[in-house]
Amino acid sequence: MSVSRDDFSIAFRSALLQRGATQKFSIFSLIIVALVVFFLDVYGFTVVKTARSFINDVVYRITYLASAPTRLFPGINQGLASHFNLKKENEELRRVIERYKAQDLNLEYISNENKNLKKVLDTEDVQSVSNVVLAKVLVDRNSPFLKSIIINKGSKKGIIKGMPVTQNKYLVGRIVETNYLSSRVLLLNDLNSRIPVTFDEKSTQAILTGGGTRKPSLTYLPEDYQFIEDITVFASGKDGIFNAGTPIGKTTENGEVKLFVDPNQLSFVTVNLIKPSKEVF
Amino acid sequence: MARVNLINKLFASGPLILLYYLSISELDTNLEKLFEVFSLNLQIIIIYFWIIKRPSLMGPGHIFLAGLINDVVMGFPLGISSLSYLVVCFVGNYVRNKSVNTTIASDWFTFLIALLFANLLFFSLLNNFSEVAISYTKIGYNTFFTLFLFPVFWLLFNVYQMSFIGAQDA
Repeated sequence: MSVSRDDFSIAFRSALLQRGATQKFSIFSLIIVALVVFFLDVYGFTVVKTARSFINDVVYRITYLASAPTRLFPGINQGLASHFNLKKENEELRRVIERYKAQDLNLEYISNENKNLKKVLDTEDVQSVSNVVLAKVLVDRNSPFLKSIIINKGSKKGIIKGMPVTQNKYLVGRIVETNYLSSRVLLLNDLNSRIPVTFDEKSTQAILTGGGTRKPSLTYLPEDYQFIEDITVFASGKDGIFNAGTPIGKTTENGEVKLFVDPNQLSFVTVNLIKPSKEVF
Repeated sequence: MARVNLINKLFASGPLILLYYLSISELDTNLEKLFEVFSLNLQIIIIYFWIIKRPSLMGPGHIFLAGLINDVVMGFPLGISSLSYLVVCFVGNYVRNKSVNTTIASDWFTFLIALLFANLLFFSLLNNFSEVAISYTKIGYNTFFTLFLFPVFWLLFNVYQMSFIGAQDA
């Protein structure tokens, strides 16, 4: 019994402390270093923040260069995906044609929606978008846990945390991390994303909640709310961050929102230099 | 002779280069466009396999650095991936110290332990010390697919080892 305990402790110690002939560090020492780095970063000391910002800028640039080979064959993945989705796409296109045929009937509905949005715009304290920054997407790594992108503009261009990010005036997400030359954008479908929105002719208020899936869902709706498909969802601007009336996507019958901008297909985005009332996230 | 040596060194550095490349590039093993729930942590498989088979090719210093780079690219708090990779490295080292000969089945079973320890540490640190929220369902799928596909990569890496590095285990 004592022999087996000795064996265990020898193997355990050896695994933690032993170094190979060419290895400079033991696992134990590196675990300690990693823990120190982790807590310094989590508790956000200014020196660490500055160092991290510098490291981020350097690593994002290297990532952009290192990803060049994968950019040479962008069609492969998309080709495969479109092949699998061909039937679905066909059905969807048929539905779109039907929808366009019925466009005349929708006209009244759209004008109602427009009237309501005008009301929203009149009542909210809207800050005009006088200044925007066009940014290129540097890194778009598809993580299973975090849905974010890195853009090539940072605090040097006046970007701060919380600023809304759009593409073709459709909302994409918001800035959650800024470095001197780059920033991280949290996408609308990330689990950490929460946006106050408004939609339909009654100007129903809700929170658009990301779930880590492709389509974020609508939460905090009025009781017994019945979802209607294909209604445009807009940012309500109640958080003082996003412009009221910024279009986001269309509702589906199960309470999700199909985004106007596919978060996996971003190459250029616009950062609206609106100063949020306070830095968020 | 020098040229052969260089080629051998290059082949021997293959796993490490792959580890660094996966950490720093946009290349991901998350094929959610095709199959929404599919995601895989290939870095952990690479580390575990090579620590068991050829620890001299996968130094802990490199593993630590690859983890740091991964954190920067993914937007996690610095050091969290390094910790999780080092735990995998530690379990691998321990298993190697305790076993004389390994098979695909024994490696698969011990990999489960390494993966559970690594993920437990990763997500409990993230949950308790960071504001980043993470879906537990995604974690489950990620762990499942990483474990499920381990034997496939074990065979692939074994073929690589036999063909380019040498058949002898550490």
